[in-house]
Amino acid sequence: MKSPLEPLLRLFNLSLLCGSSMLVPAKQRTEWGREWRAELWHVRRTCTPMHSISWCAEREVTAFCLGAFKDALCLRRQGGQMRMRAVPQGSAAQCILLLAITMAACYIAALLLPGVRAERGLVAGRVNPGLVLIQEAGYNDTSTPTISPAQYRAWKGHKQQYFDGYAFYRVTRQPVDRDSTIPDSRAMPEWGVANASANLFWLLGLPLRFAEPDGLADDSTPKVILSEAMWTKEFGRDPHVTGTMLRVGTRLARIAGVAPNGLWKLPGKVDAWLLEPDPAIVSGGAGYVVAHLTEAGEAEMWTQCVHITAYKPDESEDDLLGISIEDYRPGPWVIYLFASLLAMLALPAITSVSLGEYSPSPQQTSWSRRLYRWSFLCVKIAMLLPIVYFASMDLGYAFITSYSNSSIYIQLVSTFLLCLFGLRWVLQDQRKRCPVCLRLVEHPARVGQASRTFLAWNGTELMCMDGHTLLHVPGMPTSWFDAQRWLYLDTSWEFLFAGSGAGLNGGVIP
Amino acid sequence: MGQEIKPADAKLSHTTALILQAVDAGFVYGFSIMEMTGLPSGTVYPAMRRLERDDLIRSHWERQSIADAEQRPPRKYYKITSAGRGTLEVTRKRYPLLEKLIPSEEESSV
Repeated sequence: MKSPLEPLLRLFNLSLLCGSSMLVPAKQRTEWGREWRAELWHVRRTCTPMHSISWCAEREVTAFCLGAFKDALCLRRQGGQMRMRAVPQGSAAQCILLLAITMAACYIAALLLPGVRAERGLVAGRVNPGLVLIQEAGYNDTSTPTISPAQYRAWKGHKQQYFDGYAFYRVTRQPVDRDSTIPDSRAMPEWGVANASANLFWLLGLPLRFAEPDGLADDSTPKVILSEAMWTKEFGRDPHVTGTMLRVGTRLARIAGVAPNGLWKLPGKVDAWLLEPDPAIVSGGAGYVVAHLTEAGEAEMWTQCVHITAYKPDESEDDLLGISIEDYRPGPWVIYLFASLLAMLALPAITSVSLGEYSPSPQQTSWSRRLYRWSFLCVKIAMLLPIVYFASMDLGYAFITSYSNSSIYIQLVSTFLLCLFGLRWVLQDQRKRCPVCLRLVEHPARVGQASRTFLAWNGTELMCMDGHTLLHVPGMPTSWFDAQRWLYLDTSWEFLFAGSGAGLNGGVIP
Repeated sequence: MGQEIKPADAKLSHTTALILQAVDAGFVYGFSIMEMTGLPSGTVYPAMRRLERDDLIRSHWERQSIADAEQRPPRKYYKITSAGRGTLEVTRKRYPLLEKLIPSEEESSV
């Protein structure tokens, strides 16, 4: 009589085989499984007693099944080695494949990083053209607000030749709370709040998420635009946040939208913008003015900055500076182009830009071969540039979720370094590739003696493993041998390399 | 100038040589080789994969009708190739005890 446990034990053994078969390459899996199952049948018949359970025998059978894992791994390794042999080491295809994988990895990382996503969103939603940030001329940087609300109101009250739209904002720390009924503001957390003109976002042309359909004007109730960071922190990214009442300082305001991360590039760290009519902006502290240029104003805007003379209410002159908002803080693309250009200029300082001497050999360096060689170089550079762009963005925004000065600096430095050393690698790699098959030359050998430089050349000799060329690199550049040279091998050499592919199997020892 | 390596010159480890000797001696499937050599399945089968990859042995499936007649699943049998025999000859010189551990079929019958 059979033991009721036997089917379970069989099932356990089969599941071990099934699990190990997952390691076997798919093409060989069926036959491999068939062989092991057949062997298992015989092992069970030989080792286990017919009508009872022997745990010692079962242990043997299980040990047999566990051996399948080693066998599966062996087959997997063999498959991997075969694949490695199929692609020649150091071939042009392998190089392009590696670059493509790197580019894909950098691009995927850029898609996943929230900081990069925010920056891409920002590029899609640029500010309106013809906008300037106005500040007092005496201040070198924009971190200090200089324009008073009274000054702003005075300009806005007069018809201007060069400007046709204004907005004012001032950043202060104010207590803010979601519960609009709390009367005691001392218990409320403080946010960086920008008291701004109601038309600020409209003037800047910045898109808002969950914006009220009726726009931001026409309503006497102050409206609040939340930064995405605060929306996430305080409201858990609630999509129905619009219309919620907030207490900002002593005033009640209604949430009217969310400003996406990285959108705000003007001075001041802002958690929320309190949009209110101009008369409601309390006089006192200084702020910033954003103005839109008329056609006449744009014609006067020669550079990034322009000096403006305004008249105060007491008719005295006021020297101001208008800074183009488009150029106020450079986008990633501008940084990338600038740093890449610098890297290209610096390249000759760290490597020779020459590709060496390709001595003419009509039969081996035909136009198609030369075109192939140059195309390969161009493809490498073309693939390197997006890699540098995405990798520098990844580095710049790896730990920063929104726009900041540090991300700009990281991107600038990383673009420069990656581009510089990437281009150096491209040139060095090209110099070491056989001009016939574009495979990397191998087996460097020292030739000659340095002490005999004036009598014979000395340096390093490398060979193409397909037997097309030898590369001679001088150890010490001389007037008669200053750059690397290629020596093309004729067909009489072919027998030496006939088994180079099979050489991987140990077929030929050079 | 280079020198070609013939399969017969390939150096086998003692374990692999033992398995090749077992196949040559007529132990033609994995479990019988395990029983003969005392080696575990995790050693025998991978070694046979490598021997087959290097064309020292080859495998074939038993006919289904034979297996059906005996009411068991068909087995995969292994057979030594001429290259394998050449390699084994060389290997026996390196491991003289190999033939004593697993005598070949002819010697057993004698």
